[in-house]
Amino acid sequence: MPPLESGSRVRALLRNSVMEIVLLALCIFLAFRADGFLSMQNFLNVLRTASFRGMIALGMTMVIIAGEIDLSVGSMVAFSGCLAAWLTGYLAGPACGMSLGSAVTLSIVASVLAALGIGCITGFLRVRFEVPTFITTLAWMSVLRGSASLITKGFPLTPFPEWYNFIGGGYLLGIPFPAIIFIASFAIIQVLMSYTSFGRAVYAVGGNAEAARLSGIKVYQVKVLVMAIVAGLAALSGIMQSAQIMSGSHKTAEGWELEVISAVIIGGTSLMGGVGRVWGTLIGVVFLGVLVNGMTLMSIDEYWQPVVRGALILGAVLINLAPSSRK
Amino acid sequence: MACQLQTENIRKEYPGTVALDNVSVSFDGGKVHALIGKNGAGKSTLVKIFAGAVQPTSGRILVDGQPVVLRSPRDAFAQGIATVYQEMSLVPGLSVAENILLGRLPHKKVLGASVIDWPAVFARARAVLDGMQVSLDVRRQVGDLGMAQQQIVEIAKAMSFNPSVIMFDEPTSALAQHETQTLFGLIRTLAAKGVVIVYITHRLQELPLIADTVTVVRDGRYIGTAAMAQATPQTIVQMMFGEVVQKERPADLKAGTEPVLQVRGLGQKGKFHDVNFTLYRGEVLGIAGMLGSGRTELLRALFGAEAFDAGEIVIGGRSVRTVTPSLMKDLGVAFTPENRKEQALVQILSTRANLCLASLDRISTLGFTTRRRERSVVNRLVARLSVRMPDTEQPVSSLSGGNQQKVVVGKWLNTEPRVILFDEPTRGIDVQAKQQIFQIMWDLSRQGISSLFVSSELEELLEVCHRILIMKKGTLRGEVQPGTLSVDELFVRCMTDE
Ligand SMILES: Nc1ncnc2c1ncn2[C@@H]1O[C@H](COP(=O)(O)OP(=O)(O)OP(=O)(O)O)[C@@H](O)[C@H]1O
Ligand SMILES: [Mg+2]
Repeated sequence: MPPLESGSRVRALLRNSVMEIVLLALCIFLAFRADGFLSMQNFLNVLRTASFRGMIALGMTMVIIAGEIDLSVGSMVAFSGCLAAWLTGYLAGPACGMSLGSAVTLSIVASVLAALGIGCITGFLRVRFEVPTFITTLAWMSVLRGSASLITKGFPLTPFPEWYNFIGGGYLLGIPFPAIIFIASFAIIQVLMSYTSFGRAVYAVGGNAEAARLSGIKVYQVKVLVMAIVAGLAALSGIMQSAQIMSGSHKTAEGWELEVISAVIIGGTSLMGGVGRVWGTLIGVVFLGVLVNGMTLMSIDEYWQPVVRGALILGAVLINLAPSSRK
Repeated sequence: MACQLQTENIRKEYPGTVALDNVSVSFDGGKVHALIGKNGAGKSTLVKIFAGAVQPTSGRILVDGQPVVLRSPRDAFAQGIATVYQEMSLVPGLSVAENILLGRLPHKKVLGASVIDWPAVFARARAVLDGMQVSLDVRRQVGDLGMAQQQIVEIAKAMSFNPSVIMFDEPTSALAQHETQTLFGLIRTLAAKGVVIVYITHRLQELPLIADTVTVVRDGRYIGTAAMAQATPQTIVQMMFGEVVQKERPADLKAGTEPVLQVRGLGQKGKFHDVNFTLYRGEVLGIAGMLGSGRTELLRALFGAEAFDAGEIVIGGRSVRTVTPSLMKDLGVAFTPENRKEQALVQILSTRANLCLASLDRISTLGFTTRRRERSVVNRLVARLSVRMPDTEQPVSSLSGGNQQKVVVGKWLNTEPRVILFDEPTRGIDVQAKQQIFQIMWDLSRQGISSLFVSSELEELLEVCHRILIMKKGTLRGEVQPGTLSVDELFVRCMTDE
């Protein structure tokens, strides 16, 4: 078995970094053609905007690698923002009379816990009754959006104190706070997926759940956990979103589920499960952020944005499939 | 329709491997050509090239002396070339009939629209099966069938093309003795009609029964072809391996007296009932039985893959009634399932990931692990099992069938089990690798680890085990000591009802 010459190594590296190269090309193009693209201010703005969806996309990557899906993340963002707002108003109001500080803190914790609980229920229904997560989360998508409207009675709630804005719109050491949370989530999930036995189990479960089960891996744990993680991240994102707009509104984050899934797919994760990289999702998120930013800066009609995004998803999938389909 | 199938300097490269290195072979019609060689020799690759499923890097294929280009399986069918693959390629959710006629379901016109003619579908599928003299309900869903029956459907699918060339990639590895006989009868009939038959097997004892010529490949190279009448087992093995050491069962092997696994009154509705036995420390205990005797179901139940509804298992001083695979793993039980593709391996993950699958917790500290750490475990296992592969980071699906099987066994060695349940562990592996697996069982036995060993090849059981239980129709019917009876006698005991 004589080994093949190298050189195929370089080619393999290039093939695995297609999206990075395309992103770089896009940035270079925009640097020349879009005024203001290269400024620090613009860069931080892109980062902030991308962070809200980006954190969810990280969790979604785990879910999709595990062979599942979550369609309810957009509604979860709205729901948790509204729940936090309503709870804050209630706890700080005459009925409870808490200080605003503790009311906000308690509301945040309660919203995230609620989301984790909902994620666990989805995971539980998946493993116990084999309800596909596509169905369960489709139901949640509707239920949570509706609950958000019920909580707010259709009008944005604005009980938040001034300083609350920091967690959505503030800067820490010159970096937007949501971006810091995003980067931190990236680091944690990257480590989780690449350097822990849990991460290995996620890949195995998504690749072949039966083989994983017969290897003594606790498949139910994996499924419940990934669903809880993505729901929790969506709730965090929802809280930060509510802080940025300083209100809980049932209309936030409409259509986010698809944007988030797009970023994951553009990043090379396979909807079939078992294949994907957290790093790829980061690239996908930044890519979509830069694209929208570039189009805005170049004052391209905003109705073009969804068209371009759609074309991009298809393009990315074709690129990612190209090496393997050439069997 | 005497036909001829030839290759000229066929070469196939995969990243990091040369699977076939300028192979020129020729197969004539009317004969059965055995194609043999050790695991990873390139047999399946050659078959896939003839089948149009894989494209050669260079070289030509000739049918009846005419060069042909086979870009897809469809091109191969058009040339009359049909294949029974090593790894099953059936659609589990469809019926037997639909699988046999997949893509070619007969249609009829109803009110001007073309619809599937179901009566014709079933009739035609049944005709194919009748021609093979097997009885199988053509309406049954393939996913509900056992391995052997699926194999029959796979063969029927190939037969339904009325092929002039038919290639079998280890067709008997899932078949019991009488089913193998049926298949051989079928092959002889086909050969008499002038069909070219290429037959891959690791069961060398089958060769005198079925083959007219043997062609040997080794490490991607063509070694030679011999007429079966002239070849002796020694020359064949010599061609396959160059040199081979037949391992003898060590004389010092003793089973202990301390029970490690006790099974009491175990039952599963419709599958097996009232199963009682004790497995002792260091013992290699065989289970002999025909297909459908419930041996696979018993093993699966012991590992918690399926729940049982009566009885108990006593292991490590603990009595368990509700079992799950993760609990059994914690109690020191390991299990290698019979179907490696569906139940044992995660095909898209690397060999490294698969070898670590069962021992993730063991490899990691506080849940953290690194590739480096995994690699040292993997390298040890690869060396111990002599898995032939270019790179442990490649998907396990790129390994040859036999090497995949070694990975299935290998992943459990790292869990330091007390008991290993082996369901057909030698399926599709070459003579030498088989010896390695036996050697592993014996080594484990010396370390006090017990094995429960299910195999359709009774010779194997007689060679390896301390004791053999006989299973029939879902119950244990006695036990025998190897050395006190011959293969034929054991076969008779498994078949007949006394
Ligand atoms: N898709 C693939 N990618 C990379 N390498 C491959 C691929 N398929 C096969 N190989 C390699 O080609 C070689 C020949 O494999 P092949 O499956 O033809 O062996 P085989 O003779 O059929 O062995 P076995 O008896 O174990 O089934 C092996 O080293 C295998 O690892
Ligand atoms: Mg093979």
